[in-house]
Amino acid sequence: MIRLAIATLVVLVVGIPLAILPAAPISWLAVAAAATGGVGVLALSVSLVTASATLSLIGYALALSWARPDADPVVSVILGSALVLVLALTHFARRSEGAMLGPGVMAGLIRHWLAIVGFGVVAAVVLTLGGVVLSAALVGASLPVVVVAAALGAALTVAGVIALVTTARDADAPSRR
Amino acid sequence: MSWQPTALNASFLTLVGWALFLAVFTGRPDLVMVAIPLVVALALGRRPTGSALRIEHRVSDDRLLEDERASVTLTLHADGPVPLVELLEPLPPSVRLERGRAHAFFSLRAGEELRWEMTLRCAGRQRLQLGGPYLRFWGPLGLVAAEARHRAPQTVAVYPQLTPLRHLPRPLRTQTFVGNYVSPVQGEGIEPGDIRPFAPGDHIRHVNWRATLRLGTLHVTQHHRERNADVVLLLDTLSDVGPGGATVVDLAARAAATLAGAYLARKDRVGLIEYGGQLRWVKPAAGRAQLQRLLDTLLDASVVFTYVTRDVDLIPPRILPPQALVVALSPLLDPRFVRAATDLAARRFDLVVIAVSPVAAVRAAVRRGRVADVAARLWTLERRAQLDELRRTGLTIVDWDGVEPLDAALASLTRRRPRRVLAG
Repeated sequence: MIRLAIATLVVLVVGIPLAILPAAPISWLAVAAAATGGVGVLALSVSLVTASATLSLIGYALALSWARPDADPVVSVILGSALVLVLALTHFARRSEGAMLGPGVMAGLIRHWLAIVGFGVVAAVVLTLGGVVLSAALVGASLPVVVVAAALGAALTVAGVIALVTTARDADAPSRR
Repeated sequence: MSWQPTALNASFLTLVGWALFLAVFTGRPDLVMVAIPLVVALALGRRPTGSALRIEHRVSDDRLLEDERASVTLTLHADGPVPLVELLEPLPPSVRLERGRAHAFFSLRAGEELRWEMTLRCAGRQRLQLGGPYLRFWGPLGLVAAEARHRAPQTVAVYPQLTPLRHLPRPLRTQTFVGNYVSPVQGEGIEPGDIRPFAPGDHIRHVNWRATLRLGTLHVTQHHRERNADVVLLLDTLSDVGPGGATVVDLAARAAATLAGAYLARKDRVGLIEYGGQLRWVKPAAGRAQLQRLLDTLLDASVVFTYVTRDVDLIPPRILPPQALVVALSPLLDPRFVRAATDLAARRFDLVVIAVSPVAAVRAAVRRGRVADVAARLWTLERRAQLDELRRTGLTIVDWDGVEPLDAALASLTRRRPRRVLAG
């Protein structure tokens, strides 16, 4: 049953580049990815499933750069979420092979995984919306302005992290009186 | 307990790296979007989760016979939520899992209690050590894990199986205590003996009225005393062959336990000498406590390698009484044991050697084939010739292949051995 779920996810991951551009090189990559993924599913090997996913990502990148479609965040997020689930599922299937699963283990795990994937989707939506807002705000801005804004954002992030770490250390430190 | 990242992190990082590299390489934002769920999973999946778990480890019995079952019950009580915990009860190879699994995953809510039970079948004599389960707490995605060991050392003594015996080697000499053997010495007993004229002091209930009427004077029937015997089991642990759990020492220990049980049931005093790398013994005694002592000693009987040959002269007479029946259990593979047995017989000990055949044990351990068949047949012939030669030196030998019941092997001995009893 778990193998079937992993196989379904592998087919989904392998099929997305083909759906964008069903060309010969993409098909060959998809065949290689499907073969690697198939062996990975049978052997419940995380390494082989990762290799299959990597081949699919390369195929996806090639399909995008040759077909030049408009950016589709939904398909990208689906692909990313499928990759998370296929890795988590393969890893769990591998370590629980032949073991007894207590009541509610699978249900609890699926709940956790879906929550994490949900957070990923929310983060992707927020970032996409932020990108849209930023692109609207920076209409007509030149490349140096974007670079300066990005550098400023990065500097603020680093400062925020330093402040956070320093505050935590001060709170833990004993009083010197 | 420390949480450690697992190898799954490498897979996630590989995919994130490839997605970002391809995004930069192709200039497509879609690939950055692919990386976002993976990055979020890496960030959230590395959080340590609950590990507040109390475990109660219980084994149903601490003493068993071979092939009996013991159930191991683990009660898990979660003080806080435990999303995923993996448990592994390590089992020795001599134990077979009959019901349940030794490896399990559980998910517990705060305050929840779960029972995990498994049934073990103990194949051979052993001191089974159950140390308690290994625990591994997993993060939600398997990106972090923490390991621990719940230590609950428990020992289960698995004693050799006792089988009923009808044909026991009869001792030639009896002792002074009341037992089941008819002694030639006249006295109190139920076995009728000679008839003699009445003498003052004789009980009136011993008068043989039939003989009295025929002979015209009072005659009484004498009775034989019923006495017990001393039996010493001499176990050869100098050499061992065969597959684990069914070696010749295991077979000999099983036979020794059966003989001990049968002789003790006949009120005899039974002792044990483990003749091997270490010379261990149990002084002859009677009763149920003695059977327990003997079984405990047989549990630990094993080969201890040594070049030193210990002579039977080292054994004190209180352990090896001169009047005792000595039952030696040996595959007769080591010449030191053969020498010791010949020595005992030469010193007029009442000795019976049960020669446990190593051929069947070795055949069970090696792959079948024509060469193995021929080798086994040759070995059997050679062994038969060796036993015949030893019989010519005066040893009483019972050949037991370890497959047929011991009682069947001993039946032939009962027919051959004289039934007379030499002394009281």
